[in-house]
Amino acid sequence: MEHLAYDIQSGDFGGAGAASRDLKQHLKRIGAESGAVRRAMIAAYEAEMNVVIHTEGGRLEATVSDGQLDVDVVDRGPGIPDVPQAMREGFSTASSEARALGFGAGMGLPNIERNSDRLRVTSAVGDGTRVSFSIGLRPEAADQGARPSSLGIAAELCRDCRHCLAACPTAAVRVREAQPSVLHHLCVDCTCCIAACDPGALTLLDAPDGLAPGADGVLAVPPALLAGFGDHAVDTVLEELRGLGFAEVVSVHPYEDQLRRSVLDLAAAAALPTPIISPVCPAVVSLIELKFPSLVPHLAPLASPWEALQRDFGERDVTYVVSCPSQRTALLAQQPTAQRRTVTPRLVRAAVLPRLAARRRVAQGTPAPQPQAAGADDLLVVTGVSHVLAVLEQIEDGRLTGVASVEPFICDGGCFGSPLLGEDAYVAAWRWAAAAGAAPGEARSYERARPYRPRPGIRLDPDMAVAIRKLAELDAETKALPGKDCGVCGAPTCAALAEDIVMGRAVRALCPYITPQEGSAS
Amino acid sequence: MKLEDIARELGLTELTPEVTGNRQAEIERGYASDLLSDVLAHAPEGSVLVTLQVHLNVIAVASHAELAAVIFAGDRRPDDDMRAKAIAEGISLLVSPADTFDIVGRLYAMGVKGNHA
Repeated sequence: MEHLAYDIQSGDFGGAGAASRDLKQHLKRIGAESGAVRRAMIAAYEAEMNVVIHTEGGRLEATVSDGQLDVDVVDRGPGIPDVPQAMREGFSTASSEARALGFGAGMGLPNIERNSDRLRVTSAVGDGTRVSFSIGLRPEAADQGARPSSLGIAAELCRDCRHCLAACPTAAVRVREAQPSVLHHLCVDCTCCIAACDPGALTLLDAPDGLAPGADGVLAVPPALLAGFGDHAVDTVLEELRGLGFAEVVSVHPYEDQLRRSVLDLAAAAALPTPIISPVCPAVVSLIELKFPSLVPHLAPLASPWEALQRDFGERDVTYVVSCPSQRTALLAQQPTAQRRTVTPRLVRAAVLPRLAARRRVAQGTPAPQPQAAGADDLLVVTGVSHVLAVLEQIEDGRLTGVASVEPFICDGGCFGSPLLGEDAYVAAWRWAAAAGAAPGEARSYERARPYRPRPGIRLDPDMAVAIRKLAELDAETKALPGKDCGVCGAPTCAALAEDIVMGRAVRALCPYITPQEGSAS
Repeated sequence: MKLEDIARELGLTELTPEVTGNRQAEIERGYASDLLSDVLAHAPEGSVLVTLQVHLNVIAVASHAELAAVIFAGDRRPDDDMRAKAIAEGISLLVSPADTFDIVGRLYAMGVKGNHA
């Protein structure tokens, strides 16, 4: 249970709204349903205005308990002589000042009644009025399931530089005693911490047996790998990859192209809320499930390119050269045994580079770069985590209009920009575009095997009542910390440390700005 | 009809050029009222409000009712406090010398409708 209280001054038209605004932030943090939040705001604001307009001042107290908001607004008079009359729309006793500002039209109490599930008004003339209302908060249902992770940690390589802390878009990384760790319930399997980690302490998990081609083996690769060996032509790279002992080498790019066409078809059919979001990048899908659950209906219900490729080839002995943790996690979710068969681009590059080096260079003319394969006017391609976050926020706020579909990639420059590949995103993309057609392929798109599900990672507890208690503790802890976000404690921000303390993952003494006495005081 | 198109067609002066996210917003609904409780009760989410009221509570109401923009009629202009609050809340403020009736009439002719159309 959480208790909030705000004083409201008589006649303070400018300050009115502060209590309801603060209440809104609390309701969002405990996972209250968004329609319920809007109703609660309108009711609380009207109650606040009533105190400002009609009374000598008062107090708004809110109690958030299991699935319900109870608000109690008590003022210091003058009281309402006839409550049923005051409840009638249009009846008002407001001052001309209040009326001039557009209040006092006799709509306040009726508005509260319309937006709450229960309203009770009691009043004594000369004494004051109590307005009590309640609103159900219906938490959005979600499970608290554990998920596989594909992020590898080599703690011995950590130099304790903590660049990873600030890089993570979901504040999932901690570094304590030069040991990086990841809070898996917050991790979206992107590449941000990997890109920030120079010594390679954070990386992508490799197959335990390395590259082990079978007799009928298929090697599935991203186009960025094919175009990532300087001026070695794509067909040369394909030939040398087969030379490693694979019967067939397939690229995932036809599946990317096919997915894009299917998303544009869905957009043309207006089958989903606009803009439709392509599931091309599993890390963005995960980010949406974690931080933007209201956008889940925008996601096209299609398999990602790697998942689609796996449906076509999964019966055979496939080795997947994935370019990021999220692709590996998606493959494992569909087929757990793929764990033995996903390898890093680094492993494949190390194997194929000597073979390429041994070839006699054949001089080639520089092919003209071609425009990106399937770009379209009604498709917005967004790459890089900060841009993706900005665009998702715009969609969530309803501000991104006139866009039919969005193709978001966490990595800067799309999959070509994964830090796990050996070539710069722009160079690799240019080489790939120049060689378009050198690696033809057929593909189809598939419906998703597993439905999208909001992830409850940012909720403090699956039990709303416990979450509310923890939220109150979180507020107290956050206030006790200096707000410098220095990272010395090993958490990216003071708010993240406060959450670690509340969740029992850390102690307050980790903060260098808090003296031991203060730390043990409460 | 995009907000920037509305602003151009109606010759509105944009008072919050800092709020860029709303320019492309598709405005389908509108509401006209000088009673803020009425706005809270009935203005559709994402709509544009035409009003004579020019004070801080308009921004609070627009934020709580999740409106996209406010057009002030009769050349009434907000002060800097109000502008700053609107920018913080991401609400576009525009002003017109025309009166409410004419602004609403032209909005309606452009396809911006009310709750019941």
